[in-house]
Amino acid sequence: MERDVSNFSLLVLIVFVMIPFTISYFYQLGLKKDILWSSIRGAIQLFLIGLILTYLFNLKPLIGIPIMLSVMITIATFHARKKGKELPNVFMTVLVGLITIEIIVLALWLSFDMVSFTPEEIIPMSGMVIGNSMVAMGLSLERMKSEFETNHGKILAALSLGATPKQASHLTVRRTLNAALIPNIDQLKTIGLVQLPGMMTGLILGGIEPIVAIKYQLVISISIFSSVSLSAIIVSMVMYRFFYNQNMQLVDFQKIKNG
Amino acid sequence: MAESIFDLKHVRKRVLKDINLSIQKGERIMIFGPSGSGKSTLLHLFNRLEDPDSGQIFYYGEPIDSYDIPQLRKKNGIVLQYPYLFPETVLDNLKYGPSLFDEWQSGNEDKLLDYVNLPKEYLDKPVDDLSGGEKQRVSLARTLANQPEILLLDEPTSALDDQNIESIEEDLMTLMDSKALTTIMVTHNLHQAKRLGTRGLFLADGMIKEEGDLPGMFDQPKTDELQKFINVN
Repeated sequence: MERDVSNFSLLVLIVFVMIPFTISYFYQLGLKKDILWSSIRGAIQLFLIGLILTYLFNLKPLIGIPIMLSVMITIATFHARKKGKELPNVFMTVLVGLITIEIIVLALWLSFDMVSFTPEEIIPMSGMVIGNSMVAMGLSLERMKSEFETNHGKILAALSLGATPKQASHLTVRRTLNAALIPNIDQLKTIGLVQLPGMMTGLILGGIEPIVAIKYQLVISISIFSSVSLSAIIVSMVMYRFFYNQNMQLVDFQKIKNG
Repeated sequence: MAESIFDLKHVRKRVLKDINLSIQKGERIMIFGPSGSGKSTLLHLFNRLEDPDSGQIFYYGEPIDSYDIPQLRKKNGIVLQYPYLFPETVLDNLKYGPSLFDEWQSGNEDKLLDYVNLPKEYLDKPVDDLSGGEKQRVSLARTLANQPEILLLDEPTSALDDQNIESIEEDLMTLMDSKALTTIMVTHNLHQAKRLGTRGLFLADGMIKEEGDLPGMFDQPKTDELQKFINVN
């Protein structure tokens, strides 16, 4: 089955955009420009990626997949590092973290034949894993900075009693991990109850049987769940060190805070 | 001659300019002076919560950076200006330091609470339920749990009312006497300095402007700066 959305139907979508636009106009929210710009930009981005994907899908998997994965990981790294750009080595930590996660996920998918090594399957599914990991890393970085700021006194007290940076950061790392994992766990708990997950919806709309769609959804949901957990763990375990110098002293906190 | 514990030579750190200082075993040093004169920074140098930008610090005659940092901090215990207690209970706080070195022995908690005049029922009390004075007592007990040789106190009573100040001072006096603790204390309270100290260091503009025996140095200040400081305090 090859179902398509007509160009006219797409144009009708403008009506949907006009709803928030009108609300912004009447309530003077000052968001008109943002609403228009994000809608146009989103549409252009998606069409461009559509063209790129069509091109990549026609390449040999061994060429197309590495190219697209590299691009996705690079963009995700630049985006996630913004959340902690004042910290040293954040770019490398995020980059190596994302590569590691992608390798682990790919190894699992391919070893157990969950996903076939074709651009059509690997690229969108990896996109979801990398995208969610990117968000988790960014959130972990932000959370870690705010935990170090909030608990500055307690960390100083711990150091003063003879704690190493690892021991002094225990509480901070734990809270960062908690904050990153809890929404993820909650999401998995309510999966399918509140809204049908995007990939499953897409497959069903594309004519795949619901049970098969659910199997794919499970593969991607569990993969995302583990990747997000791994992302938070990598960021927390590596980045806390950079809040200290080699003499087990907190580095100038204002400097970190203000960048 | 008494054993020299700390020798600071031409130490500079942020506001601190060219600090030269020698501290002997058993002394009770009171560091006082206007806000922003570098008192807390100076105190942090003694257990390496901070290091000098230049100059040298000797600890028992050896460069201070030749010592293991956690061990040094354990021996030179600091009580910070605010208690910064850890979750959850009083007991968790008392155990924290010794547990880092696998040295916690059950039974220690009673002695520690005795030092700071808190009843034994407080052991399982959540720290959030304590008053300001009680929190500072727990903070002091937590530092004492590490059995420090030197006690560093960073204005530990600055956030407390007169009644609490008086009773914590009494505890401190008893402690310093019974354990013969070398004590270095930052205070903005001259009366407290008089009551607790054997030697005073007057710090202003990042420099030691005057030092002398306590309480004598307050009776005959040598510099106008100290005289002015006494007048306004």
